[in-house]
Amino acid sequence: MDRRSFLTAAGATVSVSFAGCAGLGDSDGASTEASSTDESTASGTSTGDTGGADETLVVGTYSAFVDSPSTSPGAWVKQRFEEEFDARLVWQTPSNEVNHYIERRNAGVDIEADMYLGLNTDHLVRVDETLDDGLFAEIGDVAGQDDIKPGLQFDPDGRAIPYDTGYISLVFDGTETTAPETFDGLLAEEHAGDLITQNPASSATGRAFLLHTVKQFGPDGYLDYWSDLQENDVRVLGSWSDAYSAWSGGEAPMVVSYSTDQVFADQNDANLEEHQIRFLNDQGYANPEGMAVFDGADTPDLAREFMSFLLRPEIQGEIAVRNVQFPATESAELPEDYAELAQEPPEPVTFGYDELKGSVSGWISDWERQFASN
Amino acid sequence: MARDSDGGADGGGGGSTGTANSPSRERGRTVRNTIERRAIVGLAVATIALLLGIFYYPVATVFIDSVLVDGRLTGRVFVSILRDPFYLGEPARLLAGEPIASVIEDALSPDRRLGVIGFTAYQAALSTVASVALGLPAAYLLARFEFPGRRTLRSLTILPFVLPSIMVGVGFVATFGRNGTLNAVLGALGLGQVNLLFTLEAVIVAHAFYNAPLVARVTTAAWESVDASAVETARSLGASPFRAFRDVVAPQLYPSVLMGAALTFVFTFSTFPIVLALGGFQLATVEVFVYRLIRDLEYAEAAALALIELGISLGLLYAYLRYEAKHTVRSRGIRPLPRRPLTPPSFSVRELLPRMGLAVYAVVALAVFVAPIASMILASLSGPEGLTLANYQFLIDRQTTGASFQVQPWDAVRNSLLFGVASLAVALPMGVVVAVLTTRDYRGRKVVDAVAMAPLAVSGIVVGLGLLRGLVFGVEVGGSRIAVGGGFAIIAAHAVAGYPFVVRTVAPGLEGIDHRLVESARALGAPRARALLDIELPLVWPAVVAGAAFAFAISIGEFSATIVLASGTNQFTMPIAIERFIGRRLGPATAMGVVLLVVTSASFLLIDRLGGDDVGF
Repeated sequence: MDRRSFLTAAGATVSVSFAGCAGLGDSDGASTEASSTDESTASGTSTGDTGGADETLVVGTYSAFVDSPSTSPGAWVKQRFEEEFDARLVWQTPSNEVNHYIERRNAGVDIEADMYLGLNTDHLVRVDETLDDGLFAEIGDVAGQDDIKPGLQFDPDGRAIPYDTGYISLVFDGTETTAPETFDGLLAEEHAGDLITQNPASSATGRAFLLHTVKQFGPDGYLDYWSDLQENDVRVLGSWSDAYSAWSGGEAPMVVSYSTDQVFADQNDANLEEHQIRFLNDQGYANPEGMAVFDGADTPDLAREFMSFLLRPEIQGEIAVRNVQFPATESAELPEDYAELAQEPPEPVTFGYDELKGSVSGWISDWERQFASN
Repeated sequence: MARDSDGGADGGGGGSTGTANSPSRERGRTVRNTIERRAIVGLAVATIALLLGIFYYPVATVFIDSVLVDGRLTGRVFVSILRDPFYLGEPARLLAGEPIASVIEDALSPDRRLGVIGFTAYQAALSTVASVALGLPAAYLLARFEFPGRRTLRSLTILPFVLPSIMVGVGFVATFGRNGTLNAVLGALGLGQVNLLFTLEAVIVAHAFYNAPLVARVTTAAWESVDASAVETARSLGASPFRAFRDVVAPQLYPSVLMGAALTFVFTFSTFPIVLALGGFQLATVEVFVYRLIRDLEYAEAAALALIELGISLGLLYAYLRYEAKHTVRSRGIRPLPRRPLTPPSFSVRELLPRMGLAVYAVVALAVFVAPIASMILASLSGPEGLTLANYQFLIDRQTTGASFQVQPWDAVRNSLLFGVASLAVALPMGVVVAVLTTRDYRGRKVVDAVAMAPLAVSGIVVGLGLLRGLVFGVEVGGSRIAVGGGFAIIAAHAVAGYPFVVRTVAPGLEGIDHRLVESARALGAPRARALLDIELPLVWPAVVAGAAFAFAISIGEFSATIVLASGTNQFTMPIAIERFIGRRLGPATAMGVVLLVVTSASFLLIDRLGGDDVGF
């Protein structure tokens, strides 16, 4: 059955039946294909909100975009979009993120979402290396696209459009140490055991830090640098939260994280001296996040409207603030004081799609083989 | 599983047509008899169907990738892994065709390579030793001494089993970290600092935190079943207390200790998040690479690696099961050993020594088990300005004002309990039936037993992907797609994950029951199911209760299958809520973690109370 047309036709019925029955609700053993995603969302009431909403836009994203303990843009975006457009917005947050859709395409199962929000460059590389026919459609004209900062465009084939970006930097406790200004400084004896980073295979920040070293030392030199770094007792933990909580607990004074760290610190009334930012070699590795429309989406036009909605100056500013990232456009309207706490690197660096394709998995697995050689 | 209340064994069975019996009652009895006669077969068929549908088929959809590459059958993926020193260390060079002499020479040199697989086995072995070392004294204390709160303590022993790794990470950093409690205590005592974190030792202690309770619980049960008269006989024949222990008591404990050890090895062999949280990537295990390969969609290598991992685990379980079968303890005690008071009745060396040993153990247990849990609770109550209830306020706010696509704490609690109880109701009969089937005499039954244990040993990541492919995506039947997901699928998946514990606790007891008892009942006309319900299960009831507690614990802690099968945020459970609440500050996540602690503790106490008797597990 075509889930999408079913949803559009009977969106109200579906959501009501889901909402009414927590827990065991829809578990009739052989449900339709709603499983594993946050399809249930929106509940019965949203059908009332949107009155005669005749179109539904299903957007896949990562869970922190709609559900995180501090702030997340999801609910606000949904409300604003539904208010303005006569449409319903449904967030889907499959646990394995974009892989979920690659899996579906691989298995020949309908993709029930119209677009995905939160694509990284290496996701796109993974999609293209795995699927012969691709997963996303070329997007064509989207109003506001011209405002995007030139360095952030990461898809040469015009499928993904950046909507925000993060910069990966060191965060250090200024009361314990002063972070070095260069990569080589991390090798100094005084910083032995001082740095915590993350597994590049499972963490976006860890991956960005590894890629930054590849950028800095070249594909032939980064492993030697890492060998020295390992000598100097760098800690590579699993997830960003493993690393950040160990750092917060005082296990080491430096951690690889986002350059917006002081925004959170300020929200939590923490001492900013303990949350200092360092851009090694004055560079920050940019990790632009993009959005793309699935090939075969039911409502590609609405998806395009949603994209240009997200690129509007006031929405861009709000997303950046709520996602604690930086806007993707030049025209974004940010609060005056945002830049005081959210720091941008003097020189953003990043690898483009063409540089990562065919290389990134090799770089990571070579690193793994060196670092975890027992 | 309720014990039958309608009078139990009514002697004659259906055939004894009493004069007072009305025809309808007669018919009712015949129907009941028919049901009972077919019950075991029916349950067995249902169990096998459930295992095939929810476990073996989904997992097979992933494992097939290891031998089916681009549509062609091949063994080259396995060959390339087994020849790769990165995975298999020095033995890989043998398989790659290098001369034996030089490989042996290098294997004996200090800088030999274990490979990821070898290292994973090495750390699992060390973790097993640590878990047994920390578990046995607890069993000794719980089985042999009487003190206030003993039953409560025993009920709560398996609590660490359900804690998500993020909670254990928080607890361990706060306890063993640079600024942790341990260093504070050592500093106060003038003993200097220890840096335990990010070492193999930290990982092993964390593994012991998870698994020593398992060893303790199963050993306690065996110890409580030792027949006092056998020990008294040995003593009256002149055996010293030590000899009586060595020759009479210890042999009855070995099977349980080994079971705890075997399960610990299997669990720690497939360890994943905790290694990277407390150790670091230099200690990466097989499962870390399975995860990475699946994430990068390199399915062939991921599947092959996970199959090798599974093969090693099942091989070990099989070896244990062979041992268990040969060392069945036939004389389950009717009169357990009397417990001794914890306060020494006299100040003789014999009375003081074991109690001093226990005192030392108590200090260690305080550091390893109690301090991390206390630190979690403290973390949930901490904010930037000291003690606060803000993290719990967050949970309430999220419940009352959160969007419907966000995780709601109460829903998570309710779902966890619902899935826990429902999956328990499925896992218990499944486990008992499989225990019955594997304790009958036929060739290869231990192979069947080992394969039935597979849910304990298969990589959780593979199970998650398999469920996605096999159930959530569904299969095409006659043009329409049949997909399975939602609450019932979650319950089934939890039951499948938990039932092996029921088998493992119940099977040894069933094996030990005097077969003549069952045969007499059958000869008198009792159907197999009735003999099981009225004779066998009551005899091994404590084992059933222990299996229930473990199955429930597995359900409460389950993550990877739940998140894949849930049809929406409203079906998320407590561990998923904890994961979603992780942020810059760990307060909200730890507050949810404490909710999990409290809810689970209460459940364990309830299960043990409902289970009844003080004897056994």
